[in-house]
Amino acid sequence: MKDLTIRNLSKTYFDPYAGTNVTAVHDVSLKVEQGEFVCIVGPSGCGKTTILNMIAGFIPHTGGEILVGGRPVKGPGPDRGVVFQSFALFPWRTVLENVAFGPKMRGVRKVERERIAHEYLALAKLTEAAGRYPAELSGGMQQRVGVVRALANEPDVLLMDEPFASVDAQTRMTLQEELTRIWQEKRPTVIFITHDVQEAVFLANRVVALSKGRVLDDIAVDLPRPRSWDALNDDARFKELSGRVLQLVRSA
Amino acid sequence: MKQFLLKIWSHCVRLTARWPSIASIAPFIPVVAAWWIVTELQLFPRVFLPGPAEVVRSFGSLVYMGILPAYLQDSIVRLAVGAFWGVALGIPLGILVGLNQRARTALWPLLLFFQAIGDIAWLPILVIWFGYGLTTITVVIVYTVIFPVVLNTVLGVRSIPITLHRAAQSLGASRIRMLWEVVLPGALPNIVTGLRNGLGYGWRALIATEIIVGTSGIGFLMFDARRSGSVVEILLGMIILGILWYIVDSWILAPIERATGQRWGLVTR
Ligand SMILES: Nc1ncnc2c1ncn2[C@@H]1O[C@H](COP(=O)(O)OP(=O)(O)OP(=O)(O)O)[C@@H](O)[C@H]1O
Ligand SMILES: [Mg+2]
Repeated sequence: MKDLTIRNLSKTYFDPYAGTNVTAVHDVSLKVEQGEFVCIVGPSGCGKTTILNMIAGFIPHTGGEILVGGRPVKGPGPDRGVVFQSFALFPWRTVLENVAFGPKMRGVRKVERERIAHEYLALAKLTEAAGRYPAELSGGMQQRVGVVRALANEPDVLLMDEPFASVDAQTRMTLQEELTRIWQEKRPTVIFITHDVQEAVFLANRVVALSKGRVLDDIAVDLPRPRSWDALNDDARFKELSGRVLQLVRSA
Repeated sequence: MKQFLLKIWSHCVRLTARWPSIASIAPFIPVVAAWWIVTELQLFPRVFLPGPAEVVRSFGSLVYMGILPAYLQDSIVRLAVGAFWGVALGIPLGILVGLNQRARTALWPLLLFFQAIGDIAWLPILVIWFGYGLTTITVVIVYTVIFPVVLNTVLGVRSIPITLHRAAQSLGASRIRMLWEVVLPGALPNIVTGLRNGLGYGWRALIATEIIVGTSGIGFLMFDARRSGSVVEILLGMIILGILWYIVDSWILAPIERATGQRWGLVTR
């Protein structure tokens, strides 16, 4: 696991239909230390996905630089694991094979990579589902697989773009609690994107508020861990922090 | 009365559940029965429309003489060879066109142009080039099979969500491994559909080609029978065509489709 540095990052899209340039990200700088859990929160269209896609290397950036462990990002790579909102599991692979995919690409032997996959599946309470295909799982289970598939490849940074936005509210709370538990166990560096302020505060060490492609503020979350919704729902500090972030995001 | 019919119905259901092949034969029983009745009533002269029994007898004697097995083998081998090359060329071409914007710009108009010419339309010139032989037949079959395979492969490749490409890349897959791990399986349900259509067209093209340039095969058998005025053998040939296709479809193609698209949730059941 390594740290991530973003310096003066910007992105301008060219809209071929209108023939105009759209600047989605202006001059964003951000430093994420190794083992940190950072949430980027902001309203729809503020450039969250654009930032994440640039860090992942899916789209080129038009200004500034992105460094992972000091090395500039050029295209996608296994040092940055990604969890997608739409899960993006391979439908033709079983759950076990999906989780073993990263190690397989690294050339890990079959016995060893299946051991790794089983270990991570157990972490997400998915042992029973190992032999099933993604289409045979519920949305919540699919996203658990998505998370451990990225983790099993031991990336330096884990990038998550609204991963829990398409599951129901109860499942989402469970997944959030599980994610904090798994994070505590494995301590990956995480950048988690969401528009849900409470989710951001619940998960993060640090919440970065974004608006119209600019960083508004950076708020440290000093809530104790392990975190659970039962404990935090009526927690004064949690309410205060969420209130602050919400105000920040809304004021812009 | 109603009770009685229900009883027969439940009997049928249980029977077909135990032997699924009965379910696929059952629909043909009334057709054959109607055919038999029409011939027995002598609505048409016997030489114009022979009955099922005569066709079965002709089947027996042609098998006994060894003509039918040999012709059948010829036709099937021709189809298999043509289909093999059609698939072997069509899938890589489809993947290239599907993945590469430049290849698509260059090749797509050509594909549409040559697809429009149609298989049989090539026969006159092919006969001049290659004569009345296996080469001509193979070229026609490959030509027929390749277009549905290419076009469906392109469709399949292009329907793979971009997130799957991205997921594989972020997990460390190289470009070459992406082909095997994402592109091919992602396009497979469409490829199977293309193969299914291709084989169907190829089968028809084969019979037509055999009628025109053949010296053996089921198509030739039928055309030869016309020359000697043997309606029985023509009917036999038609029935064999239908049965063979039924076998290929339900024993080979449908199981492949079930094993791929359906379990993966890419095709609705
Ligand atoms: N491919 C593209 N071409 C042109 N403009 C784009 C493109 N992708 C995004 N944009 C624009 O960039 C801005 C930021 O989009 P982005 O998807 O990053 O927002 P977001 O914060 O992820 O929003 P949401 O919460 O709805 O997912 C938007 O104004 C959007 O219209
Ligand atoms: Mg987004």
